[in-house]
Amino acid sequence: MSYKIKNLANQFLIVLNVFVLFFLLFSKYLVIPFWLQPFGRMHTLLLHFPIVILILGVILGLRRFSATYNSNTIFENLVDSFLLLGSILAGVTVIMGLFLSREGGYSGDALLWHKWMGAGIFLLSSVMCWLRNKVWYKKTLAWCLGSGMVIIIIITGHFGGILTHGENFIIQPILSNIKEPLVPIDKAIVFDHLVKPIFDKKCASCHNLNKQKGELSFADSLSILKGGKDGKLYVSGDPQKSLLFQRIHLPLDDEKHMPPSSKSQLSLDEINLLGWWIKNKASFTQKVTELPEADSLKVLAYKLLKGPAAVEESYDFNAADEKKITNLNTDYRTIRPISKESPGLDVRIFNKETYSVNQLEELNEIKEQVISLSLAKLPVKNEDLKKVVMFNNLRKLDINFTEVTTNGLATLSSLQHLQSLSLSGTKVSFLGLKEIITTLKTLKTITLWNTSLSASEIGLLQKSFKNINFIEGFSINLNEQLKLNPPQVKNGSFVFGKSVKVELFHPINGTELRYTIDGKDPDSSTSPIFDSKLLITNTSNIKVKAYRKGWFSSEVAVFGFIKNSFIPDSAVLLTQLDRVHQAEGANTFFNSILGTFGANSPAWANYFAGVVDNDLVAMYFFNQPIILSSFGMHYMVEEKTNIYPPTSVEVWGGNDAKNLRLLTKLKPKLPLEGEEHTLQIIEGLFKWQKVSCIKVIAKPYLKIKPKSKGKGNDKTKTLLLVDEMFLN
Amino acid sequence: MDKEFIEHGFSLNRRRFLSSMGVGIGSVALGSLLMPDLFGLGADKNGLPPGIPHFAPKAKRVIYLFQNGAPSQQELFDYKPMLREMNGKEMPASVRGTQRLTGMSAFQDAYPLAGSFVDFKQYGQSRAWISDLLPYTAKIADELCIIRSMHTEAINHDPALTFLQTGAQQGNRPSMGSWLSYGLGSENKNLPSFTVLLSRGIGNGQGVYSRLWSSGFLDSVHQGVQFSKGEDPVLYLKDNEGTSRQERRQMLDKLSELNDLSYQQFGDPEITTRIKQYEMAYRMQTAVPDVMDLSKEPDSIVNMYGPDCLVPGTFAANCLLARKLSEKGVRFVQLYHQGWDQHGDLPFEIASQAKDVDQASAALVMDLKQRGLLDETLVIWGGEFGRTSYTQGKLTKDNYGRDHHPRCFTVWMAGGGIKPGMVYGETDDFGYNIIKDPVHVHDFQATVLNQLGLDHEKLIFKHLGRRYRLTDVSGKVIRDIIS
Repeated sequence: MSYKIKNLANQFLIVLNVFVLFFLLFSKYLVIPFWLQPFGRMHTLLLHFPIVILILGVILGLRRFSATYNSNTIFENLVDSFLLLGSILAGVTVIMGLFLSREGGYSGDALLWHKWMGAGIFLLSSVMCWLRNKVWYKKTLAWCLGSGMVIIIIITGHFGGILTHGENFIIQPILSNIKEPLVPIDKAIVFDHLVKPIFDKKCASCHNLNKQKGELSFADSLSILKGGKDGKLYVSGDPQKSLLFQRIHLPLDDEKHMPPSSKSQLSLDEINLLGWWIKNKASFTQKVTELPEADSLKVLAYKLLKGPAAVEESYDFNAADEKKITNLNTDYRTIRPISKESPGLDVRIFNKETYSVNQLEELNEIKEQVISLSLAKLPVKNEDLKKVVMFNNLRKLDINFTEVTTNGLATLSSLQHLQSLSLSGTKVSFLGLKEIITTLKTLKTITLWNTSLSASEIGLLQKSFKNINFIEGFSINLNEQLKLNPPQVKNGSFVFGKSVKVELFHPINGTELRYTIDGKDPDSSTSPIFDSKLLITNTSNIKVKAYRKGWFSSEVAVFGFIKNSFIPDSAVLLTQLDRVHQAEGANTFFNSILGTFGANSPAWANYFAGVVDNDLVAMYFFNQPIILSSFGMHYMVEEKTNIYPPTSVEVWGGNDAKNLRLLTKLKPKLPLEGEEHTLQIIEGLFKWQKVSCIKVIAKPYLKIKPKSKGKGNDKTKTLLLVDEMFLN
Repeated sequence: MDKEFIEHGFSLNRRRFLSSMGVGIGSVALGSLLMPDLFGLGADKNGLPPGIPHFAPKAKRVIYLFQNGAPSQQELFDYKPMLREMNGKEMPASVRGTQRLTGMSAFQDAYPLAGSFVDFKQYGQSRAWISDLLPYTAKIADELCIIRSMHTEAINHDPALTFLQTGAQQGNRPSMGSWLSYGLGSENKNLPSFTVLLSRGIGNGQGVYSRLWSSGFLDSVHQGVQFSKGEDPVLYLKDNEGTSRQERRQMLDKLSELNDLSYQQFGDPEITTRIKQYEMAYRMQTAVPDVMDLSKEPDSIVNMYGPDCLVPGTFAANCLLARKLSEKGVRFVQLYHQGWDQHGDLPFEIASQAKDVDQASAALVMDLKQRGLLDETLVIWGGEFGRTSYTQGKLTKDNYGRDHHPRCFTVWMAGGGIKPGMVYGETDDFGYNIIKDPVHVHDFQATVLNQLGLDHEKLIFKHLGRRYRLTDVSGKVIRDIIS
């Protein structure tokens, strides 16, 4: 070989090395353009050359160390060229292989080993190429490298074989005679492919035709039905009573436990499977696909038989122009691909005000690609369906609550790919539907809720079309009437001046509201019916109950309306409020807003003002004297969290701040331990007085509890929370 | 002599070195032609154009019925007769192991086990145990996939809630709904693709915060929009009195011209977002009242969801609204029902909480089904963590409480390509540790994204020099529960 060619070849080898290393390092970024793919696919063709040439080179190269070698220069040249050529071919093969592996379809450990060992061969052969003329390249090293290379070549070839032909390709003919391949799930039979293998694996070693321990055999269905000397194996439909299960569930050390403790035991899945099989009447012919959807046995069957993961449907049409799709997208019509790289389109149209049949006509350009169309709740007419038919690849059509009728449905018969049809709330008839279903062979689901079809008609359809899932209406029926929710009020405030028009209402139309104001519970015959003219002028508790035919009456709702005739013109607090219970300060008590429970509720935090460390002392002034005969205070009691009523409330009144006399002194009732939280009102009545100034003193309660060990008392301060006061 | 040969071998001359290197670099350059993404050239190609799933989705929309405060699994879905047998007895220390406890029960003298006060029965073909507190949910057992082996990393409400919703405990990341909006876009351009509805029961409540539906570092069009009860469901959506729609239109046109100008000047993408939001709000002005109007719902529907569904602000009303929004193409409807934090007084509070949500949750699933929408809508029900098997505070004959418990809790899913009628995962006899098929929060999130046709490892957003995902750096799709 001329020096020039050899030099070029050497250079090329360097290039290949860099190339291969680079690809190996960044192989996950590699993107192979389609025109390079044939190059990659030639991997399987080319790889045979480097194998032969390299092995030849290695073997001949070893001859160099024999005595006769130096006399033969042609031979010397030949070895050099073999190695160089082999290395280059190996490099090219590696690159092709890398390309091929990026095409997809190859994965797993075999690929990984094949890839790295293949690259290893190439690097090793390059190294041999470069080093073999060095002085220190001696016989031992040559032997090591050479034999290593041959071994790697064989292993790599083996993994390559696995990748191309599949695992155990060579011994497959022998294996296939021993082991049956997994059955596809749609052909699997419950007994043959799920139950029988358990028996075979765990029972048949002692209970077979040749060796029938306890006169029992699991060899075939007949002998299984026959049972053993202790009787039949199982009671069809009742695993609990079956001998098989008794034996399985006996304690492991029991003599009669099966399989015997020395043998491999049944797994939980296997026990469950046998149980369900017997429960399902232990059929010998039932197919897995015939089991009801969501049946435990079916779920388990899928798990055991490794049902093929649902494969995405592929379509035989081309994708539509993306620009067209973008242009056709509007605010009221959404068009989007079903998924990335899928040509199928999903179209939804919204807003009944803007709907017109033009919205469908405009889709003419992409009619091939539309596979799902939703027109629910639009005023779609029968004629419009003639436009829908142009989407001849349609899989899914939703025309719930449209104006479509039976006559319109007939037009759909040309949709030969339709799988799902939603017709809820449309005027379709039994006969028309039956006709159209017969023509739509691919149909899988029909939604028929809220149509005129009766349950028995849907049952008939279900009978004649077993492969279609008919979805009818559903009502949760616990065989009892529902209870109405309590009535509500619309009034903004429960505190009023002179009088208030009570606005009771109930969210459910057609309910009858009956009320009382005398404290008794309302009843359905004597209590007055609320008619929007309920006017009250005094503080009162209104009790209301809702009634409606077909429902249980509601619980009694109680609404307390509290009268407050006078609102002070100015207010001042003489003591400090607690740091966290400021509310609106002195104005809290006459803002006509009541608070509620629950520390997280704004109505708790914002409407209650409170004191802990000192008395609550407030003064109120009136520009014009008022005639006062009662004082009321509204406060919260929550024993659990230490919110207590005041110990006492004093009300002073007079013409000005300096001339006050005690009008009344109130002593609220204290809560018992463990009592439920309540909102309470305490009222004091007195002989009418003319006043321009009022002073209120409320003292928080000091809880005194004897200490458990009898030494002195525990004193706990309590919180007093007040939201409103009332002057009448 | 040998030595010289060796030295000669090592001393490459400069020309040879340079020429080899040139060849080497040349080949790298050639090779890099086949790797468009290598040097960050196409890095942003990872972010898909919004609105296209990675693969064909099973579900198109999600309704997440979040039970805020963490419902006790021992009283609802995880039947543990052992707790009743051992009621009042100390929980074996080996069960708790080195588990950290909250400050609320860490200093208790004793950890007596509390048996559930309520009975359980088995329902459906999966023979799932469901408590008597949930009679309606029990009726739809065949539609549900009950996961009893959820576990989380956080032990307090705020971080746990944030973790479940955003994949991180700190709360600066986009919420699940925002991720879906980012990945899939909106189906109906007249409504936001992520909406939030709140309600609360009388049980001990925990707060919800608007950052739970924040879009984090994603474009703010993906932020959740809260619909509140009352006459003005979306705040500031209505025109001022006396403004006609025509005038509004003119105003918006002028405004967007101005905004456009400042966008050209500053180039801040938030400006275009704002223009889009104004336009969306304009369209929502007609779309929202239509959705919020529950008065046209027929009696049978009211019956199904229960009478409370017509009382604005209740969970039942929100469920009904969720169905309407979802039907109109809203990608992600997030409900929060507060009041599940039963540290004490559990029997009373949980019964009332369960009553709030039971009928409406079941009705929502069946209502979607009868409209043929359940197979494309994923309904999720669950809280942020579980509750302890031991009692917090005093255990009396008919009263007890349970503290926070992140090691196991129960969540159910229905529709959206999830296997119906199955129970997944198992906890030990004490209901304290998972013994089979654990589902981490990130696994759960990965599964939800998977059902919507999104690969959780590919739905990423580059922010501050790092690529973020909902599942952070872990999570695997739970294939066993996918039909």
